[in-house]
Amino acid sequence: MRRYIIKRLLISIGTIFVVILLLFILLQLMPGSPFNDEKLNVDQRAALYEKYGLDQPLIIQFFKYVGNMLRGDFGVSYTISKNTPITQLLQTRLPISLSIGGEAVLLGAVIGLILGIVAAIWHGTVWDTIATIVSVIGVSVPSYVFALALAYVFGYQLNWFPLLYDMKIPLQSSVLPSIALCMFTIASIARFTRSEMLEVLGSDYILLAESKGVYGPKLIVRHVLRNALIPIVTVLAPLIVGLMTGSLVVEKIFSIPGIGSLLVTAIQSNDYNVVIVLSFIYSAMYIGIMLVVDILYGVIDPRIRLSKEGPHD
Amino acid sequence: MTDMQNNAYISFLPGDFELKGAENTKLDMNFASQRFWKEAAMRFRKNKGAVFSLITILLVILLAIFGPMISPYTYQQQNIKQTNWAPRVQGLENLGIFDGSESLKTSTGTKLKNAYVVDKETGAKNDTYYWFGSDALGRDIWTRTWTGTRVSLYIAVVAVLIDMLIGMSYGLISGYFGGRVDSVLQRFAEIINSIPTLVIVTLLMLIMKPGLMTITIALMLTGWIGMSRIARAQMLKLKEQEFVLASHTLGATNFRVIFSEILPNIIGQLITNTMFSIPNAIFTEAFLSFVGLGIPEPMCSLGSLISYAFKSFTTHPFQIVPPVIVLALLMLCFNMLADGLRDALDPKMKEM
Repeated sequence: MRRYIIKRLLISIGTIFVVILLLFILLQLMPGSPFNDEKLNVDQRAALYEKYGLDQPLIIQFFKYVGNMLRGDFGVSYTISKNTPITQLLQTRLPISLSIGGEAVLLGAVIGLILGIVAAIWHGTVWDTIATIVSVIGVSVPSYVFALALAYVFGYQLNWFPLLYDMKIPLQSSVLPSIALCMFTIASIARFTRSEMLEVLGSDYILLAESKGVYGPKLIVRHVLRNALIPIVTVLAPLIVGLMTGSLVVEKIFSIPGIGSLLVTAIQSNDYNVVIVLSFIYSAMYIGIMLVVDILYGVIDPRIRLSKEGPHD
Repeated sequence: MTDMQNNAYISFLPGDFELKGAENTKLDMNFASQRFWKEAAMRFRKNKGAVFSLITILLVILLAIFGPMISPYTYQQQNIKQTNWAPRVQGLENLGIFDGSESLKTSTGTKLKNAYVVDKETGAKNDTYYWFGSDALGRDIWTRTWTGTRVSLYIAVVAVLIDMLIGMSYGLISGYFGGRVDSVLQRFAEIINSIPTLVIVTLLMLIMKPGLMTITIALMLTGWIGMSRIARAQMLKLKEQEFVLASHTLGATNFRVIFSEILPNIIGQLITNTMFSIPNAIFTEAFLSFVGLGIPEPMCSLGSLISYAFKSFTTHPFQIVPPVIVLALLMLCFNMLADGLRDALDPKMKEM
């Protein structure tokens, strides 16, 4: 087990370094310089370069850069809000995005599980059909279509929730975005739970339990759910990634001041520094989540850590 | 069981058998492989959802090809005087729907407005028709929707090619050679896979101009990983089998073993997986265009049309409906088609 965790940790650290290296190389490849003002003469430009440490050799710049990134010192924004430290920009935006993402994960996991369990227990009935239809639609229809529909019906026509995100009433404002975001999570968890449950229900040990006289809720909770839930941990990582990309769109639709909308603005206004910091944060979150999920899976399911290949096959 | 019992009572005479030559053995193989595809087609036809999806997709393809041709407008032609006109369709307008009128919500209440009316007293209309309406710049939404659909379909083709060329070969080679080749290739894939697609695409957008080419490259960088994993896993299952050994003994090259001995055995699963990657790719493109990183104006894709219509979707909701419906339909149908293909090609994988 320890060897497995160490191996996963090393891969994650390696990947973080590759990401930082990539970001750094891209920063060097960028067309133009951050100081595009034509009024600057050569001396002023050199002074600015010196101030931001851009005149030093690349190797030194790189190691400084890695150090800064890991310490959380992300430098300043060049164009969005001039010379504001990016950490300050993130301070207000990161919690908003995280809370909406968290709500979506929670909502999606709970509803998805219930839907999947219902579909598996009453397999072949109307409930099963309904759950299947919901999950097919949820998997196939992009989250922003849901977001638009919700915004139009509940935000604009019925006026139940604010159409645009309002900082003063964060709870009501986050209802529609969270629902729009969690549709995909609901659908994939429901699908996965259903097929896992059906597989367990058809297994020999459930037959044994039944013939020993275990039935009803006790059978489902103790014997079926416990075994069926283990593989669901594996779908969490891809789902969280889906939430990341989904949040970009949903944040745009509801004009939520989160990091997704910051990323879009930064790309459109060529604020490289912000783009790179956000890319780093997204990658770091993603790598962290993958690491946790893999290790968790190894802890729950002994078969994984015993096999040589790890959870990827 | 009954067949076997009946067989027990039949006695064979030597005349019942005849020796087949070497050519006939080959014929028999052909027959067997035909059976597989015939059976798959039969199972596929039984699945109503999948057949419906296939027909819908074909219909969308036809509309994407011919839709812009049968309209009098081009996708970039603007008419500044005819902005935000509601849909009006010949024939249907007499039924009271699609007659070019829309209700506008104002501070004083709702009011019905018809932009096509030339003479307010008689209610006479001019003879322009915008089947899906016109947008804020006076462009025909019908033409633009189907032109945008072409982009999504192009992306679907790209996704298939990437899966089939890059993902499949990568996985097969990695699994077949194993050892050091495998571990190097797998570490590389793992690292690429650990960087979110979103980040890769974003960074690509920084160094390249937004456009179809950039999106294609972004898909090429990230789209093959899922496929390569499945191809590798299948290869690991099959490469120890006797027919591979036999093929080696007969002097087949590695290339031949991989692509003409092992590949035909796993092609069903690979096709299924390819179909599942189509909706993903279409979604990625629509998503990028929606956040403004995709196709630049005046070109359009479904995503950019939705993004554009979104700006006025509370006042003119008719503008956003066509691209959203086509996109949702495409995604839904490709998913259902993939489900149907999986059940048809690989009945063992079918969910219980």
